[in-house]
Amino acid sequence: MKIYLDNAATTRPNVDAVQRAFSALGDDYFNPSALYLEGVVMHNAIRSARKTLLEAVADPFLYDLIFTSGGTEADNHALFGLCRRGNVIISQGEHAAVYESAMELKRRGADVRLAPLRADGSVDPEKLLALVDDRTSLVSVVHVNNETGAVNDIEALSSQVKERNEHTLFHSDGVQAYGKIAFRLPRSVDAYSISAHKIGGAKGTGALIRKKNIRLLPYLFGGGQEGGMRSGTENVFGILCFAYAAEPKFVSLAREGARLSALRELLWQSLNCDVFRRISPEDGSPYILAVAADGLRGEILQRLMAERGVLVGTGSACSSRHPFSRVVAACGLEERFLHGVLRFSFSTETTQEEVMAAAAAANDAASELISRTGR
Amino acid sequence: MEKVIIIRYAEIHLKGKNRGYFERVFAVNLERALKGIRHELHRTSGRYLIAAFDEGRTEEILSKIARVFGVHSYSLGYLTGGELDEIYDACLLVAPRRGTFKVESHRAYKNYPLTSMQISAEIGARLLQAFPLKVDVHSPEHTVYVDVRTAHEALVFCSFEPGPGGMPVDTSGKGLLLLSGGIDSPVAGYMMAKRGMSVELLHFHSYPYTNDGAKEKVKELAALLAAYSISPVLTTINVAHIQEAIHSKCAPELNVTLLRRFMVRLAERVAKRKGAQCLITGESLGQVASQTIEGITSSNAVATLPILRPLIGFDKDEIILHAKKMGTFDISIQPFEDCCTVFLPDFPAIKPKLSFVEEEEGKLDVEALLQEAMESEETFTL
Repeated sequence: MKIYLDNAATTRPNVDAVQRAFSALGDDYFNPSALYLEGVVMHNAIRSARKTLLEAVADPFLYDLIFTSGGTEADNHALFGLCRRGNVIISQGEHAAVYESAMELKRRGADVRLAPLRADGSVDPEKLLALVDDRTSLVSVVHVNNETGAVNDIEALSSQVKERNEHTLFHSDGVQAYGKIAFRLPRSVDAYSISAHKIGGAKGTGALIRKKNIRLLPYLFGGGQEGGMRSGTENVFGILCFAYAAEPKFVSLAREGARLSALRELLWQSLNCDVFRRISPEDGSPYILAVAADGLRGEILQRLMAERGVLVGTGSACSSRHPFSRVVAACGLEERFLHGVLRFSFSTETTQEEVMAAAAAANDAASELISRTGR
Repeated sequence: MEKVIIIRYAEIHLKGKNRGYFERVFAVNLERALKGIRHELHRTSGRYLIAAFDEGRTEEILSKIARVFGVHSYSLGYLTGGELDEIYDACLLVAPRRGTFKVESHRAYKNYPLTSMQISAEIGARLLQAFPLKVDVHSPEHTVYVDVRTAHEALVFCSFEPGPGGMPVDTSGKGLLLLSGGIDSPVAGYMMAKRGMSVELLHFHSYPYTNDGAKEKVKELAALLAAYSISPVLTTINVAHIQEAIHSKCAPELNVTLLRRFMVRLAERVAKRKGAQCLITGESLGQVASQTIEGITSSNAVATLPILRPLIGFDKDEIILHAKKMGTFDISIQPFEDCCTVFLPDFPAIKPKLSFVEEEEGKLDVEALLQEAMESEETFTL
């Protein structure tokens, strides 16, 4: 079987969670909005899942949680539903779901400002704060950068933003942080996006956690589900599976963090340092190690590694339209490293043997490519 | 009275004693296109009729006919008896309900009691009584056609849909199309199939420098081309080792020129095995550095089969227009590099001198590289 180290793209679903949620696709198929007992049971199951997912990171008196079709929808809902007149600030390290939403706001006439990054992919707090003024309606900063694993201190950032402008709303994309790094949502964060399939849930489910007292515009109109914010019959299976998958992640959060940090460092130390340069910071997410190969193409390395049975992510695809990753370029990486980005990302299932084999495969692939092309 | 599709063919009437052969192949192609749909195919003089077909699938049948080369035009209409009353009943079904019209009649059966003009006048008069129509014989909005074939048979229809024209596929030999995944080569294949050539497909990839997405894209193109009677069998060959050898030993500006000579040689080996008599490429003069007359000269120098380049005089815009019509454009522009840029020189030679090309190629063990590449051959049936 192949060694899978592309868990930031998606993780293998947690079998136990899938099995427990499976009845929602079978005998318990009832519509949670139905008024007969069977419907009410489903409604209660969703309420319990909502509670589990919300309480893991936030105070349920201050926040509620809107189920969505995934992280992308949650990000879209936050940007389009929270932005008001004035300007919007995002970091250059945002996932495409936030970045492209902001670009669409810009096309519609909004003043969109981009906060620059530091070399590890985290946002530069001073430069971000310098962009905030009395007309800033929304700031969105990714919690864990999905390409480099750099962690932004959203607690400090959001409170500093509010010191500058108390009316500014603060959103964070927490897709790569939820269930992976320890934190509680501080009061200064108004909205937070999460996704199920990055932590062992099923694809097609996510959520937007938002502070109760802020005004958010509905995203889908219809039957009034999710407090009228996101109409549509609930994805009961996906929602239950999300909660069942999240539970063990929070139980083992600290232990897994320490274990994977060690594996991440082991992987880095096992890579050929003549070829690879590290992008991910040491204090970043233990789940991601991004490196860049000198003068080689990440996409080709990825294929050569796949031949050796190891699946990893790249910074970009070999395409003339997007020759390299927008985010990595914003980290200020030199041109000759830009095309060579590889992203190793881990899960609870990742073992030391796998990490060692992945390092060997990466080194072999790099040697092969160098010898075949003369670089 | 029976609903029928009338199919007229293009150019076959130009053929003399070979006409029977062309008509037989055309009928086979029509049958192949309609495989799996209930129908009967009848030949009448100069026309084919599709009768007793599954009327619920009429649109599907028409769209398939619209892609069979050799079809000049087709019409949905009725086959009726020869009596004027029967003809009129069919006219009632196809005639417009309002606007201007005329009736145009033909008699293949010259002993019919009425002349063409009399048939038109009689049917026209009756239609005028039936519907709020006006006659306009010069530029009518609608034309009702009556075609008396024999004493007992007439065809009635109201529309002419143009077919793709051309010759029946399989009547003009066999060619091997070098299908790159770009916009041009599918169009080149279409053009040759339209002239009746049976077209086989060959794709060069450069794994690991090109990705599986690029290969999937070519498969998708090939599957679409099959709707135009192009072979659904795709052969692929990996030229990565050849690119590496050229890159390490030869002048960088000749990278593409040399690779094309290898591609021609490989294609000939595949062509000969498949019984193809020529190679087909999507080259258009001057479009890129390697498609200059000097570039073409250098690839032709290693060819023994003719290389047909049906797009040679086309502008990119014209090719794109054609690709859009065929439906291949949207697939071709998917952003997978068909030839990864790893080996692209900064300045490719625009006018490579054949003597220099041959000298640089002399640094390589051509035969060994060709054999190695041939071993990477794969075949996909789509």
